[in-house]
Amino acid sequence: MITQEKYRTTVKELLASGSVKMVIGYKPGSTPDRRRPLFIRTSEEADQLVLDSTCMTNLSGYLVTEGLLSDEKRVGIFLRPEGIRSINILAAEYQLNIEQIVILGFDSTGRDVRPLEGRNAGDFSGLLSEIKEKPVQTSKEPLLERIEKMNAQERFDFWQEEFSRCIKCYACRQACPMCYCRRCIVDSNQPQWINTSSHTLGNFEWNIVRAFHLSGRCVQCGNCDRACPVNIPLRLINQRMATEVLDGFDHFAGLSPTQEPVLASFKKDDTETFIL
Amino acid sequence: MAKIGVFICHCGENIAAKVDCTKLAAALGEHPGVAVSVEYKYFCSDPGQESVKKAIRDNNLSGIVIAACSPRMHEATFRKACAEAGLNPYLCEIANIREQCSWVHTDGDMATAKAMDIVRSMVEKVKRNNKLQSIEVPVTRRALVIGGGIAGLQAALDIANAGQEVVLVEREPSLGGHMAQLSETFPTLDCSQCIMTPRMVETAQHPKIRLLTYAEVESVDGYIGNFKVKIRMKSRYVDMNTCTGCGDCMTKCPAKKISSEFDCGLGKRTAIYTPFAQSVPNIPVIDKASCIYFKNGKCKMCQKSCQLNSINFEMQDEFIDLEIGAIVVATGFQVQNTAVYGEYGYGKFPDVITGLQFERLASASGPTAGKILRPSDGKEPENVVFIQCAGSRDPSKGVRYCSKICCMYTAKHAMLYAHKVHGGKTHIFYMDIRAAGKGYDEFTRRAIEEDEASYVRGRVSKVWQENGKLMVRGVDTLLGKPVTVAADMVVLATAMVSQPNAKEFAKTIGIAYDEYGFYNEAHLKLRPVESSTAGVFLAGACQSPKDIPDSVAQASASASKVLALFSKEKLEREPVIAVNNEATCAGCWGCVLACPYNAIEKKDIRDRSGRLIKQVAYVNPGLCQGCGTCVTFCRSNSLDLAGFTEKQIFAEVMGL
Repeated sequence: MITQEKYRTTVKELLASGSVKMVIGYKPGSTPDRRRPLFIRTSEEADQLVLDSTCMTNLSGYLVTEGLLSDEKRVGIFLRPEGIRSINILAAEYQLNIEQIVILGFDSTGRDVRPLEGRNAGDFSGLLSEIKEKPVQTSKEPLLERIEKMNAQERFDFWQEEFSRCIKCYACRQACPMCYCRRCIVDSNQPQWINTSSHTLGNFEWNIVRAFHLSGRCVQCGNCDRACPVNIPLRLINQRMATEVLDGFDHFAGLSPTQEPVLASFKKDDTETFIL
Repeated sequence: MAKIGVFICHCGENIAAKVDCTKLAAALGEHPGVAVSVEYKYFCSDPGQESVKKAIRDNNLSGIVIAACSPRMHEATFRKACAEAGLNPYLCEIANIREQCSWVHTDGDMATAKAMDIVRSMVEKVKRNNKLQSIEVPVTRRALVIGGGIAGLQAALDIANAGQEVVLVEREPSLGGHMAQLSETFPTLDCSQCIMTPRMVETAQHPKIRLLTYAEVESVDGYIGNFKVKIRMKSRYVDMNTCTGCGDCMTKCPAKKISSEFDCGLGKRTAIYTPFAQSVPNIPVIDKASCIYFKNGKCKMCQKSCQLNSINFEMQDEFIDLEIGAIVVATGFQVQNTAVYGEYGYGKFPDVITGLQFERLASASGPTAGKILRPSDGKEPENVVFIQCAGSRDPSKGVRYCSKICCMYTAKHAMLYAHKVHGGKTHIFYMDIRAAGKGYDEFTRRAIEEDEASYVRGRVSKVWQENGKLMVRGVDTLLGKPVTVAADMVVLATAMVSQPNAKEFAKTIGIAYDEYGFYNEAHLKLRPVESSTAGVFLAGACQSPKDIPDSVAQASASASKVLALFSKEKLEREPVIAVNNEATCAGCWGCVLACPYNAIEKKDIRDRSGRLIKQVAYVNPGLCQGCGTCVTFCRSNSLDLAGFTEKQIFAEVMGL
C-alpha cells in the first residue's frame, strides 16, 4: 500500500512537471485478483492506480502501439524486472527509443510489493546482471523438471496433448511484447506455411515457430501463459529456449538496450557446443 | 496456364542405368501443366540442346525442367539455350536426378520413384518462377594489389602493362618481399636480387602503378567492380617528396645495434633505415620503437644531418580512400618459428639457423657479403648439416602439409656452400626428395652428383654442443643405423606458414581461409586463383606454399582474371537477390546484422510532405549475393529471395 501511494504521487509529479505525457500502469480488473492496464494522462486518473502483487502483466507491449512514441515525448511505465528486459530488447530491435521511456520499476515477493531504484533503463543494468547470475525460481519449475526428465517420445506426446487444446486464437501472440510485427507469419498466406486450422500439425507448426521467434528474446514475463484461454504452459517452451541460448551463447535476453540479437549476431568466442 | 517442358536426360548410362527414363517421361507427361515430356541420351549435346530449343518454340512453353545432373554442371548451358529460344533463362530449372538419385541408389524401382518426386517438385517450382533480368553493375577499372613481393609485383605489372590502373600496397618500407632476401634461385642459380630489383624499379616507375609502401589495408567494403578500400599510410617521419635517399641520416643515426629484419637477425641496422641497399623506394623510415628521440625526447641527429629538411617527427598516419574494381591478394608467407623444436636447438645454439638465414649468409648483399660464415664466431664452417622438413609434414608439432620449396632450396644451399667453401662437407637429413618441376630433379641430382651433397634418409632426434661442435644425432633409415655427425653449422628447412595476421586480414577483406591461415581458392582445381569472394583474386604463397615460378604464374593468372573483369564496362550478375516487402517490414534490423555482405541498409519511408513515417530494410541489389541468410532471419517473412521465393520453395516441398 505504501509503495502504491508513493507511486501515485510520483506519477502525479511526473505528469504535472510535463516530463511524461502518459504513464502506463494498472487498475482494478473484473475480479479482485485481476488487473487491467491503465493509461494515466491526468492527475485524477492517477488515483485509480493500483500496485500490488497481482500486477503481473508485462505492460511493455503497449509502448510499441503505432504512433505512441512518434511525437518523441516521454512515457512512464510500470515494469517488473522482466518488463525492463523487454523494453531493452525492444530498444535493441529499434522498436522504441529507450530515452523516451521513464521506468517505474517494482517487484514483489509473496504479497509484498517494493519499488525498484532508478528511472532509466541504464539504472537497472546491475539488477539485471544479478538476475542473470541468480535466476529467480518460478512456480512452474516442477513441471519443467518433469518434462526435462521425459524421453523424446514422451515429451512429444506431452506437447501433442497440450497443443491439442490450442484453438489458434493467437492470444499468446497478442499478449507478447515481442510480437510487434506488422504482419505476423501466420497472417501470410502466399504461401501458407502455417496451417490455420486447429489440428495437430498446424498447432505444432504455430507453437514451434513461435518458440523459435522468441529464442533469445523471451524474458519469461508469462504474458502468453496467462493469456492462453486453454492453459497451455507456453512459458515452459520459451524458458527452455532461453536456457539453450544462455548455455550456447551466454546470451541473457534484454540485458541492455544495445544488446545484439543472438540469432543475428556473430561472436568469435561463441562456444558453438551445438556444432559436432 | 502453365506449359512446362520436361526433358529427361539419360546422361549416357549415368542416369538411365538406374532410373527408368521412359517410365519417368511418361509419368511426368501426365503431371498437370506439363505440355512436353521427353527423354534423350545427352541433352547437353548440341542436338540435345537444339531439341530443347525446338520444343520451347513449337509448344510455346512457359517454363522448362531439365532432369539431369547437378545444376552446377549445366544450369548455365540450359539457361543459355532457353534464352536462345526466346524464353527467359530464369524459367529454366534443373532437377538433379544424377548426383542426388541415380548415383547414390542401387534399387532401380526406388530410384525411379525418387526421380519422379524430384522432377515433379521442380515442375511445381518452375510454374511459379518469375522472369528475372540479370543485374548490371558498373566496374571501376582500377585494381588493388596487396603485397609487394614477387607475386604482387608480377600481378601489378601485368595489369598495368595491359593499360589498367593499379594501386600496389606494401606494408614494409620497401618492395621486394621474401624474394629480395634470397641469394641465388633454383634451378638456374641466377641471383635473386639481379632479377628482382629491375622488377621493383619498373613497378615504381610505371605510369599506371600507384605505389603505396609502408601502408596497410585498413578496411574493404563494397563488392566486385565496386570496392571501397581504406589504406593507412603509416608515418615514415621522412617526407617522400623531398628525400633523395642520400643516406646521410642513416650514417649519422646513433642507434646502430638494431637487429635487421631483412637480414633475419644476422645483421644490424639503424633506427632510421631502408631495409636493404636496393630498396624501392629508396627512402628511409624511422622505426619509432627503436628511435632514441621517440624514446627519450632527445637526439634528432638525422634531422640535423638532412640537408633537405625531409625529416619530420610530427608526421601522423594518413588515410587514403580508394575506389577499386578488383583486388589481388599477394600477402605472402612467414617462416615458422623453429624454436618450438627444442631438439634442434634453434634459438639456443647460434649456429643453428633457418634456411632463410642461410640465404642471407649466401647473399652478396647480406651481412657477410656472400661468405658463408657461421654466426657464433664468424668462422667458415667445414661441415654443415641440413635438416629437411624441420616443421613441415609433422602433425605433432609443426604443420601437416609439405612446404614444397624446402627440398629444392636445401639442395641449392648444399650447392652454394660447395661452390663457396671448397672441400666443405654437407649432410642432408631428408624424408623424401620432392623435386617435381621443370629442371628440378636434374637440379637435386646435380647437388648429389657434382657438388657431393650427402643425403641421409632419416630424421634428426637431437642436436647438442660438444667441444665447439654441433653434434647432430639422427638415423639413416636406409642403413637402419643411428648416425651422429659433428657439424659446424646446422641449417633447418623451416616450414612455410601463413602470415601471423593472415586470418584477421582475411576477415578484413572478406575472404575464406583454411585451418592454417592460407587463403582458400574458389575451387582447388578449376578456379585456383579466385578467392571465395567475387572480385578478389589470390597470388603467391598467401594461398599455399609456393616457389617463385608458381607464384609468378599464379600472379599472371590473377592479372588475367582482373583484366577479364575490366574488359567490360558493366558486370552482369545473377538476379538471385533478396527483396524486402516494405509494407510488412517491422524495422528490427536483424537482417542488417545477419547479412554477411553488408548489403542491407535502412531506408526512410516518408509521406508526401516529407515526414518520416518509418524505416524499413532495403537490399542493395549490387551487394546482395543471394545467400538467403536474411530471409531465414526475418520473423515477419518480409524478405524473399528472387529465384527461390517462399512461394516457389513451398510449391517444391508440396510437390514432393
